[in-house]
Amino acid sequence: MRITKRSNLSVKERLKREWNRNAIVYIFLVPALIHFLIFQIFPFGFSFVLTFMDWNVIGTSEFVGLKHWSAFLSDKLAWKAIWNTVLFSIYYIVPTMALGLILALIINSGVRFSNVFKGIFFLPVVTSFVIIAGLWGWLFNGTQAGMVNFVLGFFGIETQLFLADSGQALMVLAGLSIFKVSGSTMIYYFAGLQSIPKQLYEAARIDGASKIRIFWQITFPLLKPIHFYVAIITTIGSFQIFDSTFLLTGGGPNYSTTTIVYYLYEQGFTSLNLSYAAVLSYVLFFIILTISLIQRKYLGKDSAIY
Amino acid sequence: MKRFNYLLGLAFLLVIVGCSSGEETGGTADGEVSGEITVWVHPFTDGSDEESDMWDEVVTSFEEEKGVDVNLEQIPWSNRDQKILTALAANNGPDVFYAIPDQMPQYADEGMLLELDPYLEDMDMDDFVDTSLVSTTWQDKTYGLPILQEAYTLFYNKDIVKAIGEDPESLPTTWDEFEEWSKKAKDEGYYAMSYPGGGSMNGTIYPWIWQAGGDIITQDDEVLINSQESVKAFEFINSMYEDGRIPEDSITAKEHNALWDNGEIMATLGSGITLSNLLSKDVVDFAIGEPLKNEEKVTYGTTGMFVVPSNSDNKTAAAEFVKTMTNTENQRKFNKVTQYIPTRKSAQDIFDDQEYIGQLAEYTQYALPGVIHPIGRDIMPAIQAEVQTMMEGKKTPQEAADAAAEAIEADLNN
Repeated sequence: MRITKRSNLSVKERLKREWNRNAIVYIFLVPALIHFLIFQIFPFGFSFVLTFMDWNVIGTSEFVGLKHWSAFLSDKLAWKAIWNTVLFSIYYIVPTMALGLILALIINSGVRFSNVFKGIFFLPVVTSFVIIAGLWGWLFNGTQAGMVNFVLGFFGIETQLFLADSGQALMVLAGLSIFKVSGSTMIYYFAGLQSIPKQLYEAARIDGASKIRIFWQITFPLLKPIHFYVAIITTIGSFQIFDSTFLLTGGGPNYSTTTIVYYLYEQGFTSLNLSYAAVLSYVLFFIILTISLIQRKYLGKDSAIY
Repeated sequence: MKRFNYLLGLAFLLVIVGCSSGEETGGTADGEVSGEITVWVHPFTDGSDEESDMWDEVVTSFEEEKGVDVNLEQIPWSNRDQKILTALAANNGPDVFYAIPDQMPQYADEGMLLELDPYLEDMDMDDFVDTSLVSTTWQDKTYGLPILQEAYTLFYNKDIVKAIGEDPESLPTTWDEFEEWSKKAKDEGYYAMSYPGGGSMNGTIYPWIWQAGGDIITQDDEVLINSQESVKAFEFINSMYEDGRIPEDSITAKEHNALWDNGEIMATLGSGITLSNLLSKDVVDFAIGEPLKNEEKVTYGTTGMFVVPSNSDNKTAAAEFVKTMTNTENQRKFNKVTQYIPTRKSAQDIFDDQEYIGQLAEYTQYALPGVIHPIGRDIMPAIQAEVQTMMEGKKTPQEAADAAAEAIEADLNN
């Protein structure tokens, strides 16, 4: 019955009570909220308005209704870009998580110089993406002079085209992202591993469980909150992939590495179709939102496993 | 995400536009100028003192002579389009800025640039190299005056030329001669030419299309990329790739510098920047050939120009600055420091005593500035994709050219 009692208070009184209780919080929040309003909420809303206009940078803009939205539905390239992005996610998400977990297990296993390994594994994360991409492009050079091709040559494998082959380019780019991001997933998993209670392992060992069994029965399930978090982060990251295709392939060959954000960028800033770019950014937003909700429903459940 | 934020930021700034109103100041009808202008330039050298001294000199003499205050701002090259667009949209942009060829018609077509013809009635335009005015004109109206030009032509590795038994003193001038050399180079285990197919089409297939007598699209919207002549260029590149006369990764490579530096490539298409790199690295002994000819003797070379946005607050003074900046004296000063090639014939004497750049300066008369059309930039990815598909062997040259034409038509009707 408390609820009814509360709602008997007038709005003014409730506001006053709230203010008395938490005034300091609101005062400190105001600058951040203003920033958030101007740089996040406002552009978010305004770019939605943009999708219904033919936007000219200078001069008047015309209201065109759903023209850009319907253009999107029949734009084969946009769908190809989305499909490429999905493919990229498939190549990227699970390997990044797996590699991050393996690296975390290595540094958590009490191996000697684990801090040195931690540093080495983390190095790509803190190195500029442009530099990493440059190195990757050099390693996967599609001529005989390329490092990877040179090594493959020893095994009698003929020169691969890598970035110049529409079947391989996206995988090479995914490899670059895996290399770049695994270090940070390693850190999340490492923190997760540290938080698993030691007595569970002790009990398992007393019961005579094998190492593999311990991993699958204890470590892996207890990392569920971390799996969830890393899955969300890498998924969002993979749908926003832009830099590597911008730096290494320019969307080619034959659009095979044109991802949704790269296509959006090209539409917006090369072709100046800002309204259409806004439509694409909303499409991207809905995709990420949907995936996050699905992941939350199926992966995020009962995170309080112990 | 960064790019996405730019978009959002731009959207935000657009609102400010609504709040501010432009007011015409300075500039009177009888050609008297006064007031203040803002000029955006870019770093044309590696931030040398000579460059800032040059700007000081140019700006001070303009200020003294015309009585106009000039705010010269140097804007980094990266994301320059975003910066200019955002500033112009916010009505807070420069009165004069530096533009490149494919940017000009795109902006002009959107009504973002001021037509300069009314301000140029007393100008002697004959002194400008003809090709340098191609990129400043859209639909018979002049939107800018050129300050610098480049000319791309083939740089040859002399050691390889000798290795294939040819004379570096008499380099190829026609496709046939070059093709013959390229086959010899291949036989001797070299690549004949670099082909950065992941880069701009201006540095790859366009010059070949023009040399074959073809074109991409005319200013009157006529699509010529699948004409008989243009297809010859597709065929030429395709056979170069099929035979391995250009590197295997040419489909998406952005550059072939390492291969060139290692002495594995006979010829590379380059301009003034290539030249200064070659001179400073000093690892390859090179010779510069003239632009090749099949039907036409042409090549690619960008033109840099100064333009005035249509929402400038001080149009007369801005136009006056553009004229003064591109006069003979200032072109000499500018290009001497930046090592680009002046667009006025009378200023080209600065490189008379310099062997290589003097040679490049002679070629700017053959240098076309790319596709001068509002959709020039939009269509490049589509053409690139078709050329790539052809090189992968999935389309014949004719099919690829037809598909490219179709993509251009679709873009035109959009």
